[in-house]
Amino acid sequence: MAEKPRLKLPTEAKKGEVIEIKTLLPHVMETGLRKDKDGKPIPRKIINKFVCEFNGKPVFTANLEPAVAANPYMQFRAKVEESGTFKFTWTDDDGTVTTADEKITVS
Amino acid sequence: MSRGGILANCAAVVLVAAGSLFVAGESDVLAQATKREAPLDLKDDASARPWKRYSGWPTRDYSKFNTLGNLASPSAPKEPRKITVPITGDAKKGAELVADRNRGGSCLACHVMGPAGGANLPGNVAPDLSEIGNAGREDEWLFNYIYDARVYNPDTVMPPWGSHEFFDDQEINDMVAFLKTLKSPAVFKTELDDPAKRPPPVEKRDNLDPIENPAMWAVDKAPELWKQKGATGFSCNTCHSDPKTAFKTWAASMPRWEPRLNKALSVEEFVTRHAKATTGESWLMETDENRAMSVYLHFLANGEPIKIDTSSPEAKAAIERGKELSARKVGQLNMACTDCHGKVANNWIRGQWLGEPKGQYDHFPTWRTSLLAIWDIRQRFQWCQVNIRADELPPDAKEYGDLEFYLAAQNEGQKLSVPGIRH
Amino acid sequence: MRQLSRRDALALGVSGAALTFIGSDERASAAAKEAADSIAQFTGGKTAEKGKVSIELPEIAENGNTVPLSVSVDAPMGADNYVSEVIIVADGNPNPGIATFHFSPLSGKAEASTRIRLAATQNIIAVAKTSKGEFFTNQKLVKVTIGGCGG
Repeated sequence: MAEKPRLKLPTEAKKGEVIEIKTLLPHVMETGLRKDKDGKPIPRKIINKFVCEFNGKPVFTANLEPAVAANPYMQFRAKVEESGTFKFTWTDDDGTVTTADEKITVS
Repeated sequence: MSRGGILANCAAVVLVAAGSLFVAGESDVLAQATKREAPLDLKDDASARPWKRYSGWPTRDYSKFNTLGNLASPSAPKEPRKITVPITGDAKKGAELVADRNRGGSCLACHVMGPAGGANLPGNVAPDLSEIGNAGREDEWLFNYIYDARVYNPDTVMPPWGSHEFFDDQEINDMVAFLKTLKSPAVFKTELDDPAKRPPPVEKRDNLDPIENPAMWAVDKAPELWKQKGATGFSCNTCHSDPKTAFKTWAASMPRWEPRLNKALSVEEFVTRHAKATTGESWLMETDENRAMSVYLHFLANGEPIKIDTSSPEAKAAIERGKELSARKVGQLNMACTDCHGKVANNWIRGQWLGEPKGQYDHFPTWRTSLLAIWDIRQRFQWCQVNIRADELPPDAKEYGDLEFYLAAQNEGQKLSVPGIRH
Repeated sequence: MRQLSRRDALALGVSGAALTFIGSDERASAAAKEAADSIAQFTGGKTAEKGKVSIELPEIAENGNTVPLSVSVDAPMGADNYVSEVIIVADGNPNPGIATFHFSPLSGKAEASTRIRLAATQNIIAVAKTSKGEFFTNQKLVKVTIGGCGG
């Protein structure tokens, strides 16, 4: 099944505008509290960190716990002063890093 | 159908298409030009056999009770039972029993009952019993109402807690003892706990926003499946190169009566049988591929009002059967679709709102947030059955076909909006 | 995306229906204490002032598996004074922590939303820290609904 991040943000904005960004990453967010059919605990495996940067500078970061629901959704704001690229990074407990980026033209 | 057979059919279609006028904008030429019936596998079942209940669902055997396919429940008693009065029971135990969800949902699913269960989100399908201790009811009446309410009200929605073996006599005595202590209105911790004051839920989510609704993955996945070549070397795309145009309204016209199978055929069952007969793909009902295709085919017809063909005598007969099935009492809880979604619709069953049939169909298949899964209407039927403690039928059962046919007729005019998003 | 069985989903979501014992006094106060400890650790023992923080949650969650949560702080986001962090904890979950949001002046607004898991009816508490070392807090009660049908 398609397991790529979904992003929603404007492609253009005015200088100084505070835009809204929404992201969704398909991920089971295994809490570590579940047990399998034989009663053995299923190990925790979650996205524990989400970072949004703009032109290399941090805009918004979230440290996530297992209480964040599966398919972690994040909505937040960013103030844009110049054109550039947003970079989004999701880090899994197992070290896997997923990234996506999106350009924006600011006038 | 053999590969040679399909090739011959397609060759015939191409010849006819080449000979027919090419209508501007009509790009589904191969399928449309001949106005043939869609090929269907008529031999095999459209879902797994033997049908095995989904993992994680309750595993109890309910074969002693009615299903939509089979009558087995014991008949209702004709007379109330004669009880030794006064009843001796443990009211404290009774208070626990009435709140025990493991015994078929608990009385609080339907009744406010004073302090029972902490007055935590009780339902209001049935009368508030908080002052029943002052209502002057005889012990024998209270006992029999719980044991089998049908002896007093043949039309009751109340499950036969005694005659269908949920509780034994002593437990019912305990509950009667508790009921006799109920003499003042329930005190709710918050206004939301009071079903009389709880506002009905309003679905405000944008179900077609991929960031809101994970089921939209199916809308991405299905075009890949569409182009996937099956064992015959063909894909859906071979004959249907422009699904967006060709199927703009199709799903809103389903289910349809299928004479070759003598049953009402839904989108999901159509996908199974048509894929098997053309591309060779085995997309049984209740597989991820089938669900993805069903979501996609409904999605392509979003905004179209539901309108099924009820003109034939067979279609009319299916509706009659569907209507009867919707009113059949099934399961250990002895309930019919028309109980919750008819007699007591627009009330709270514990913390969940019961809706009428109209509005319960246009958003299927739907994402279920509680399960992180896409459900089609057949799985929804099956879950309702199992929850009222009735054995479910396989998803392609003809009875489900009749029921869905009737449900679609009741939802005529509702506009498709698929995939839905629900609890 | 693989479909989860109902039991899987119930355990993953740790939905209210399955965990009636969470209502027991001992368990409830242990979870509440852990939440309070997390907050004390965040504020370094300082008492957070009630206000400025808004929490949006449904009054009744349809299930405990995915509950939409929004937090926003009505405070400036200038280079010299901005909301730097917001922690969110729950006082009735197996573990109190939910998330920590880090903002910067580039955020424009200290606001973020996500979806969370709730084991049972409980309070969600948010504590905001500013770059000047001030702390603000608010909390909201969420009821996780109880299903009609039982098991």
